[in-house]
Amino acid sequence: MKMADGSTILRRNRPGTKSKDFCRWPDEPLEEMDSTLAVQQYIQQMIKRDPSNVELILTMPEAQDEGVWKYEHLRQFCMELNGLAVRLQKQCSPSTCTQMTATDQWIFLCAAHKTPKECPAIDYTRHTLDGAACLLNSNKYFPSRVSIKESSVTKLGSVCRRVYRIFSHAYFHHRRIFDEFEAETYLCHRFTHFVTKYNLMSKENLIVPINEEENAAPGESEA
Amino acid sequence: MGTNSGATAGINNKPVGGAAVLGVGVANSAILTNSLGSGGGGGLSISGLSGQNANVGGLVGGMGGAGGGAGNNGSDDSMGGPGGGPNNQQATTPQYTIPGILHFIQHEWSRFELERSQWDVDRAELQARIAMLLGERKCLESLKSDLTRRIKMLEYALRQERAKFYRLKYGTDPPQLNEFKPSSNDDGGIGTDVATDSEVPYSSVSNTTWRQGRQMLRQYLAEIGYTDNIIDVRSNRVRSILGLNNNADHDGVGGGGGGGGNAGGIGSGGENLSPNINGNESNKRASESEVQQSNDAIILDTEAAVMANFEFLGPTEMSDDDEISDDLEMVATDNEDTDVKMAKRPKSGKDMLTEDLEAEVGEQLLNDMNLITEEVDGSLGLGELAQLTVNNESDGAYDANAKDGTGGSAGGAGYRKTWNAKYTLRSHFDGVRSLIFHPEEPVLITASEDNTLKLWNLQKTVQAKKSASLDVEPLYTFRAHTGPVLCLGMSSSGETCYSGGLDGNIECWQLPSPNIDPYDCYDPNVHSGTLEGHTDAVWGLTTMQNNIVSCSADGTVKLWSPYTKEPLLRTYTAAEAEGGPSSVDFVRNEVDHIVVAYNSAHCIIYDTETGKQVIKLEASQEMSGNTGKFINKVVSHPTLPITITAHEDRHIRFWDNTSGTLVHSMVAHLEPVTSLAVDAHGLYLLSGSHDCSIRLWNLDNKTCVQEITAHRKKFDESIFDVAFHATKPYIASAGADGLAKVFV
Repeated sequence: MKMADGSTILRRNRPGTKSKDFCRWPDEPLEEMDSTLAVQQYIQQMIKRDPSNVELILTMPEAQDEGVWKYEHLRQFCMELNGLAVRLQKQCSPSTCTQMTATDQWIFLCAAHKTPKECPAIDYTRHTLDGAACLLNSNKYFPSRVSIKESSVTKLGSVCRRVYRIFSHAYFHHRRIFDEFEAETYLCHRFTHFVTKYNLMSKENLIVPINEEENAAPGESEA
Repeated sequence: MGTNSGATAGINNKPVGGAAVLGVGVANSAILTNSLGSGGGGGLSISGLSGQNANVGGLVGGMGGAGGGAGNNGSDDSMGGPGGGPNNQQATTPQYTIPGILHFIQHEWSRFELERSQWDVDRAELQARIAMLLGERKCLESLKSDLTRRIKMLEYALRQERAKFYRLKYGTDPPQLNEFKPSSNDDGGIGTDVATDSEVPYSSVSNTTWRQGRQMLRQYLAEIGYTDNIIDVRSNRVRSILGLNNNADHDGVGGGGGGGGNAGGIGSGGENLSPNINGNESNKRASESEVQQSNDAIILDTEAAVMANFEFLGPTEMSDDDEISDDLEMVATDNEDTDVKMAKRPKSGKDMLTEDLEAEVGEQLLNDMNLITEEVDGSLGLGELAQLTVNNESDGAYDANAKDGTGGSAGGAGYRKTWNAKYTLRSHFDGVRSLIFHPEEPVLITASEDNTLKLWNLQKTVQAKKSASLDVEPLYTFRAHTGPVLCLGMSSSGETCYSGGLDGNIECWQLPSPNIDPYDCYDPNVHSGTLEGHTDAVWGLTTMQNNIVSCSADGTVKLWSPYTKEPLLRTYTAAEAEGGPSSVDFVRNEVDHIVVAYNSAHCIIYDTETGKQVIKLEASQEMSGNTGKFINKVVSHPTLPITITAHEDRHIRFWDNTSGTLVHSMVAHLEPVTSLAVDAHGLYLLSGSHDCSIRLWNLDNKTCVQEITAHRKKFDESIFDVAFHATKPYIASAGADGLAKVFV
C-alpha cells in the first residue's frame, strides 16, 4: 500500500499489516495485471470491493476465457467454503449428523472413497473440500491457470454438485450457522448464481432457497 | 640350509649314539656334529647330495660287514666303494639298520622336495612383485609425461602472454613472434593465430571504445592472472576432448605455427593443444557467418570463456551464440584450473560487466533474466545486478560446476550440493504464507491465505486418485482459522504445531500421524486449543522448547506456554515510535532472549524473564530515513550471537547481538527480501523475495551459492517463506501462487 517512488502502487501485505488493512489497496484493472493469476486477483478484488454484488462479481470481463473464469470462481468458492466448514466443525459432529443429509429427502454419499460411502456430514464436508482442492489443483487436469482443456472444464460440474451439498446441509440442519455465514459472504447466493449462469448444475438440485428477498435474479428456485 | 645341516647331524648321531634308532636324535645333533666333524670326513658337513651319498655308502658298507640283508647289501656295495675310506674309519661305529637308513633317505628326500616347492613359491612371489613394480614405473612415467606436457603448455601460454604484453605495450609484435603474423586472413585460416583472429574483426569495427574496453578487460584479467591464452588453451583442450576439433586441422595449425621455429609448444604438434586452433576455428566461423553475428561472436569469443567462468551469463543467456555456449560448456567441464581464480570472481566480474561490456551484452543479460523489470534501469541497476547475479546457476552450467567442485565461491565448507526442485505441493487455493518442517520426519506443514493449514508427507507420494502426476497430496487439512493463516511454529518434538492468523488467534494442533488416510474421519482433537489474546493479525510465531512467542499487528509481542492453565506468560510492548512488530525470533544462543523486528526497521532484544529491553539493533547512518527499510523477517543465528534481518529495501543485514551494531549489509535480491531461514548448523542462509527467487547464501563469506526461481507473482507478492529441514536435506519455499516447493 506504500506508494513507492513514482506512482507505482505495491500491492503487498507486509508482515505487521493490520487485518483491516489486509489486501486493502486500490483496485488494479484486469488489463494491467500481468500475472498468471490475474483472474484470481480480479475475482478477489471484486469480492473484496463488495461481496454482496454477486452479479458484478460474476460478470465475466471481455476477452476472458470462460473455462478459466469458471475454474477460478470455483476455486474461490471452495476456498471460501473452508469458512463454512470451520463453523460447521463446531456444531456438526458425527453423533448429531451421522449422514450427509439435506432435508429428509436427500442423503449424499461421499465420493472421496473408492466406493462411495455414507460418511457423517462433517466428514463428507471435509472430504469433499479436500477432494475438490486436490482435483482443482491437479497437475493432470488443471496444469495451467491461464488456459484449461475442454475435457477438464467438464469436471467443474461435478465439483459444483458436490460442494453445493455443503450449503444444503448447512441450510437445512445448521440454519443459524448458514445464515451468519451467508450474511457475511453471500457465498451461497453467489454460488447459486454462478452455477445457474454457467449451467453447471441442474435446477432441481438447487434446493437452498436464496431468492427470498431478491426478485431480480431469475433461475434460482426451490426445486 | 639349516635343515640340511640338521639332517647331516642326524647321520652323525648314529655312530655316537650307537644302536639308537635313526633320526630320533636330530635334536641333539647340533652339539654332536662338531665332535664328529673331524672324524667323519669332509662329506658329512656338506649339504651336497654327493657327499651325503658317499657318507651313506660308507655307513652301509660298515653295516654290510656286520651282516645286513643280502639284497640290500648288493646294491649298497657299489656305492660303498667310493666311500671306503670313511667306512674303514668308522668301522667301529656300528648299529645302522637298513630300515633306519631308508627312512632317513626318504626323510631327506621329502625335505628337499619341500624345499624346492618353497623356492618355487618364493620365485612366483618375486615375479609378481617385479610385475607390480614395472606397472608402477609405467604409471609414473605416464604421469611424468603428462606433467611435462602441461609444463610445456604453460610455457607456451606464458610465451604467448609475454608476446601479447609486448604487443600491447609497444604496439608491435615482438620480434620472435613474427611467424604468427598471418600472411592473409582469408587463406583458409591456416597460419592465423589467436591474437589476430580476435583483433581483425575487432579492428574492422575500428571502434576506439572497443579497443579501450578490451584493453581494460585485459588488464583486469592480467591482474588476476587470467589470460585469454590460458582460457584458449583450456577451451581447446576440452574441445578436443569433446571431439570438436578435427585432427587434420589441428596438425596443420601446429605445423604452421611451428614452422616459424617458435617454440616446442607448437612444434611438438599433436600432443600440444595450441591456442591457435581456437583462433583458427572462430576465424573461419566468423568469415562464414553473417556480419553482425561474426562481430559479436568474435569480440565476445575470448571474453566469453572468462565470462562463463565468472558466471554472469548463463548458457541460456548466451544460447544465441553457439561459439560462446561451446566455451561455456568447456569451462564448465574444465574445472582444474578454475578453482584458483574463483575467489576473485565477483569483484572483477562486476567490473567487467559494468565497465567493459557494452550495451548489447547488458541488454542480452537484461532480456534473458526474467527477473529484471523495467524499474531496474541504467548502469546503476546493472551494477547492482552484477553483484546480485554472482553464481546465477539456475541452469546446467552451474550444475556441472557444482558437481565438479568448481563452485569455489562456496568457500571452504566443501558443501557442493545443488538443490533441485523435487516436490511441488499443490492444494492450496491461495498464497502459502508459511511453511515449517517436522524436526525429524520428511513431513511439513503449510499455512495459506485460504484459511487452512495442510500436512504433507514427502515419503507418501500418493498416487492421487484423480491424477497420476501429483507428487504429494496433502494428508490432512487443518481448519479453524477464519482468515488467512500467516505464520507457523512447531514444537521441538514435532508433535505439536501452532499457527497464527489474520483473525488474531493462535491455534494449537496435535499433528496427526504422517501415515494417516487423507480421507479419514474427522478427529476434533487434532485442534487442541486456541491461544486468544492478540487483538489483531498474528504475523510472527516461533517456538523454543515448550514456549512460543508471537507478534501481532496489535503492537504486542506475547510469550505463551501452551497447554497450561494460564498460557499467556508475558506481553512485551515497545515504545510507540517503534511501530508495530513485524517478526520475532528467539535468540538461539542465549536463553530467555527474544529479538523482535519493528516497523521502525529496528530490532529490539528483550529478556523474556524481566521483560526489559536488552539491546537495540540499529545503525543510524545505515538506517537513516528508514522508509522502505522495513524488516520483513528476523532470524537468529542458531549458534552465534548474530541476528539476521530481511528488509524491504532488498537488503539482508547482519547484526551483532552483543554490541547491537551492524556487522554486514548486502543487497540480496531484486525486490524486497521477505523470508529467511538458517540451516541447523548455521552455515547457510536461505532467503526468499518478491523477485520470485530464493537464494542460498554461504554465511561464511556471504556469497550467493545458488539461486532458484521458484514462484510466480500474485499482485506484487511472490515468495512468503523459506525453510530448512533440521535433519534432512530438504529446503522448501512457499509462494503467493498457492504452491509450496521442496528442493532436494
